[in-house]
Amino acid sequence: MDNQNNIIEMNHIVKKFSDNVVLNNVSFHLRKGEVHSLMGANGAGKSTLIKILNGLYNYDEGEILYNGKQAEINKVEDAEKLGIAFVHQELNICPDLSVAENIFVGNLRKNKWGVFDKAQTIKEAQDLIDMVQVDMKATDIVRNLRAAEKQIIEILKALTMDAGILVLDEPTSSLNEKEKEIFIGIVNRLKAQGVSIIFISHFIEDVLLLSDRITVLKDGVNNGVFEAGQITKDELITAMMGKKAEVRKRNSEKLAKDTPVVMELKNLSSEYKFENIDLKIQKGSIIGVCGLLGAGKTEIARAIMGIDKFDSGEILLDGEKIHKVTPEIMMKKQVAIVTEDRKTEGFVPMMSIRENSSLSIMKNFANKLGILDFDKQKNYADELSRKMTVKMSSVEQEVGSLSGGNQQKVIIGRCVASNPKVFLLDEPTRGVDVLAKSEIYKILLEMAAKGVAVLIFSSELEELLEVCDEIVILKKGKIVGRVSTEELDKNTLMAKIS
Amino acid sequence: MKSLKKGYRLISEQIMLLVIIVAIVIVMTFASPYFLTFNNITNIIQYISVYGITAIGMTMVILTGGINLSVGGTLALSSWFAAFLMLRGVPWFAALLAALAVGALVGAINGVAVSAIGIPPLIATLALEQITRGLHLVLSKGKPLYGLPEGFLSVGAGRIGPVPMSVVWTILLFVLFALFLSHTTLGRTIYAVGGNPTATKIAGVNNRKIIMLVYVVTGMLCSFAGLVLIARLDSCPVSIANKLDMSAITGCVIGGCSVTCGGKGKLFGTFLGIIIMGLIQNALDLLNVSAYYQQFIQGLVILLAVTLDAMKSKDVWGGLKRKKVGKAA
Repeated sequence: MDNQNNIIEMNHIVKKFSDNVVLNNVSFHLRKGEVHSLMGANGAGKSTLIKILNGLYNYDEGEILYNGKQAEINKVEDAEKLGIAFVHQELNICPDLSVAENIFVGNLRKNKWGVFDKAQTIKEAQDLIDMVQVDMKATDIVRNLRAAEKQIIEILKALTMDAGILVLDEPTSSLNEKEKEIFIGIVNRLKAQGVSIIFISHFIEDVLLLSDRITVLKDGVNNGVFEAGQITKDELITAMMGKKAEVRKRNSEKLAKDTPVVMELKNLSSEYKFENIDLKIQKGSIIGVCGLLGAGKTEIARAIMGIDKFDSGEILLDGEKIHKVTPEIMMKKQVAIVTEDRKTEGFVPMMSIRENSSLSIMKNFANKLGILDFDKQKNYADELSRKMTVKMSSVEQEVGSLSGGNQQKVIIGRCVASNPKVFLLDEPTRGVDVLAKSEIYKILLEMAAKGVAVLIFSSELEELLEVCDEIVILKKGKIVGRVSTEELDKNTLMAKIS
Repeated sequence: MKSLKKGYRLISEQIMLLVIIVAIVIVMTFASPYFLTFNNITNIIQYISVYGITAIGMTMVILTGGINLSVGGTLALSSWFAAFLMLRGVPWFAALLAALAVGALVGAINGVAVSAIGIPPLIATLALEQITRGLHLVLSKGKPLYGLPEGFLSVGAGRIGPVPMSVVWTILLFVLFALFLSHTTLGRTIYAVGGNPTATKIAGVNNRKIIMLVYVVTGMLCSFAGLVLIARLDSCPVSIANKLDMSAITGCVIGGCSVTCGGKGKLFGTFLGIIIMGLIQNALDLLNVSAYYQQFIQGLVILLAVTLDAMKSKDVWGGLKRKKVGKAA
């Protein structure tokens, strides 16, 4: 291999989180002026590898070379000094400032008196904009721009730091076709100027279109480096997912056709998030909702619960239209949700398991005056925690001090105890270990058997195939298919969503 | 045995505060012969009763993650109404209810501003402080009111044996609200709303209602504190309850209420915090420290207490934040 051309070499990287080996002897080489994509399923180790390059994580073994020389990247500043710039998926922009001010934020041009030089800042920004040939003015206010243009500002911001290496994390997920073309043009122009680009994406077509080479990670191992021109979409999926995608079917009787519909979504739309979502959910069914990042899974789940508002459409429960959708009302109508962001939305960290697990149903433990019966509450929490197999010292332990999987069990337990008719779960097993995962799914299956309609919004395809009756496929905020899991395997599902 | 353990846990969290109280008492006993006299102790307790009653409300507001700077104005306006009505011959009991209604109204406006409109509590209550203070000046034309009826004075400023009524009211309210916060669904929900508003909302709680209620109750507690105060003074002065907000907040923060993140703090702590504040104030008076220095020192005390709180909170949330960075995408 021609190592002369490598600007970055990550060699034999090993990263462990306590006993869990996340990266096992992974090597990744980036040549000067190439677009190198990094692909892999959830949990394959992509983000860990990139965080190591960014200096956010330390690694346990291996080495990083920059231009053939050993490089110490222990913190984010180290990466910046080497000219490695990161464009994150979330936009970090100030909407009420101009394009120029956003591009040079923290690095505004000054005149010789040390005063902000507006003209110079605008001029330099416009030069950058002209260089990538986008139709945008340096004086435009960012709030009025389209998503793609905001994304471009992030890239230009990286360029002002004289970045030789650009890491783009899922940059195309929020772009429509036309915006994507603009984006691809920019990437190609940067490449022509000698910038090396690491491109992280789930969108296989975009990856094939943009990349020179593709490195595929699978379960923390480098599963191959491919020349983009010499690999097909199917081969790439196989590399990511493995050949023998073992599919275990849900072990229960099939739902009868005439099972009543408990929840119906009619034409649910929310601008820029999702549109015309029509969905009927039968009692006792387990429906998976899958799609790539930015497909609208989380947004739909939150809209159903009333956490975020939607623009138009209807939600019907047992055939009755819900006029005002708020979490309080949906909870009363027996809809419960486990949100994606466990740490900030799932629980009250300083409160005990006892109190957290009874947050939704505290009234059940109180007399008419609202005075709580602590023993009753404690017995309930004890029993629930045992059922959910929460590992804890006692129910008085603060939930903030539990491990991620156990926190998730407490949250799910709280929802189960509220006796829902419809149970929404957004990425319920993210960051949860294998054992806890199977326990969580066991509980969901039990609930479905009792007639609860379960909706799982997830990007873990394997698991969806394992527990769901049907899978609803989302793409860019629209439902593009609804398939029984019996007719699916992982690779075809992957091909459908990307 | 079990209750003994429980009692120990309750005290262990507040042990530092008790140590500070004991230390101040010992030092002051030597420093001033007047300190440990019956009159002075009564004086301290009466002094802190107004701050104490207000601090009960302040504690609840801080628990929800808010702050209330309008307590002084609320107290001034509502006690002026009570005094005005009593001097016009309205039965003192009716005047008392009117004062509570005024407090509730100001609290409700705070509540709407914070929970429905979404104005940051600091700004909303700052505006209300100006409005209520200003209204008080307009209505009173800058003049104090004197000569409150006997019946009212006996309830507000009388004594049961040697114990002043203001102390009775303060302790009664502290016990009542401590039980409310620890033993009722509403009380626990106040903690939850402050501890993590989003999670609590998603769990089906109407946060707005809870926050609204807390501000209304706080307004009423301010009115009550005002009634106790005008009964003791037998007048309603123009500069009544000056800097009440700072004193109440200082007491809460010394007592362990967290102003950096909601959901943390106990009324027992606030009670001890208010006592410490009262002791410091009394010590400064007895040691003849000038009023200019007193304000300076109170500022230092609150800065110190908040600094300790911020450092502790960093441990709790900093740990979580670090983990969040490591969240697998």
